[in-house]
Amino acid sequence: MNVAWALLWKDLATEWRSRDRIVAMTVFSFLIIVVFQFAWPNMEPEQIAQLAPGILWVTYVFAAVIGLGRTFSTELENDAMTALALAPGNRGWIFLGKATATWVLITAVQAMAGLVFALFFRVDLTIGLSGTAAIVVLANVAICSVGTLLSAMSVRSRFREVLLPVLLIPTLIPVLAAAVTGTTATVAGEALALTTLQPLIVIGGIYFILCFLLFDFVLDE
Amino acid sequence: MSPVRLRGTAIEKRYGRVAALRGIDFEIAPGEAVALLGANGAGKSSLLKILAGLSKPSQGQFGAFVDGGTSPLDRSSLRAAVGYVGHATLLYGELSARENLDFAARLYGQRANQERIDQVLEDFALADVADRRAGTFSRGMAQRLAIARAVIHRPGLLLLDEPFTGLDELSAERLSEQLGRLRGEERDAETNGGTPSLIVVTHDPRRATELADRAILLHHGIIRATPSKQHAEEFTADALRAMLGEFAREASHAA
Repeated sequence: MNVAWALLWKDLATEWRSRDRIVAMTVFSFLIIVVFQFAWPNMEPEQIAQLAPGILWVTYVFAAVIGLGRTFSTELENDAMTALALAPGNRGWIFLGKATATWVLITAVQAMAGLVFALFFRVDLTIGLSGTAAIVVLANVAICSVGTLLSAMSVRSRFREVLLPVLLIPTLIPVLAAAVTGTTATVAGEALALTTLQPLIVIGGIYFILCFLLFDFVLDE
Repeated sequence: MSPVRLRGTAIEKRYGRVAALRGIDFEIAPGEAVALLGANGAGKSSLLKILAGLSKPSQGQFGAFVDGGTSPLDRSSLRAAVGYVGHATLLYGELSARENLDFAARLYGQRANQERIDQVLEDFALADVADRRAGTFSRGMAQRLAIARAVIHRPGLLLLDEPFTGLDELSAERLSEQLGRLRGEERDAETNGGTPSLIVVTHDPRRATELADRAILLHHGIIRATPSKQHAEEFTADALRAMLGEFAREASHAA
């Protein structure tokens, strides 16, 4: 567990100093929202409620892909990846530290992107905010679990920029389906039902446990 | 950590069709310092990765033992016993020297021990730049920090892959002295239960004679000679250079 805390601290400290991933993800998210705003400049509130879940999740997923792509590429500088591979004990803790740091960064970017979306599309943020936040937080567990594992697997590949999204997005389809359905309900002002969260909890839990266990093999040569 | 004894029997390492190691046997005693010498592609780095637990042999038996034990360490225990410096420094440029050492100690499950970190920074002449980001260090300073990082958890086996590469003569000399001092230090010997075993990969026979008790000369994945300091005449830098040159000539004749 100490290793996970160390990785979490290291990743957040280096990110705070370089602002490498967070700037890229934030700028990219804002640009997507701007493009959608140009596409549909004068929408009625009912139309916005219909399109918001799609716009938000397209933004969130593509920003997450950018962040996840950098999760392990920072470890390639000075071959710090070898130092991680040499750490004794269960390598699942390395996974946990990296995934948690990515979760924090992605969630922060999604919060900012949500604010910008509300400003651009003149959406009342208070409607369904807690429900949407719960969906985003849970979906991010699955996104960061699978994304961290795939990022570690693809980072030494020549085609890593292509490989990660090609592997990640199909794996996330069940999560995205549940997240978009849930967000549609919360944005429309409906109360968040437990049945909406159940698939996210189950899929997130399965992905997290599998990735924790499989990570031990990923760092081997 | 107690010094580690290493034993390899008929070790082979293949990368696809290419054989990096071709059935080598070796035994390294606890606390022994061994230089791995050979030309590029001789199999030195492949062997070092196997010794570090970073890579498995394609064939053969490899075991690491401590405290006179007969059952080999599992891979996690082996990694815990190893201090490794590779071709790169394994450092984070955004973190300070102190933070890099603190992080490395935590990776080995040790709580941040500022006293130990201060001591290692002092030993490697980095105390004055302890709070400077490693990314701003010169090559020599970064290499010293890389070795400090490798010894922070008091390993029983220190593996150095070409630690003098890219250093000017003065920095290489300084590093060589620090390594020699590190192994000879009573303080470490007392705390560790013995001087750590050292395996150093180098192209430089002079450094090998300074640091090691024995050399293993690899050529095309085969051990060609293992001159020791007990037979000092075989272990001079000139003799090692001559042997390496001879192997290279034999290889070119064979081709």
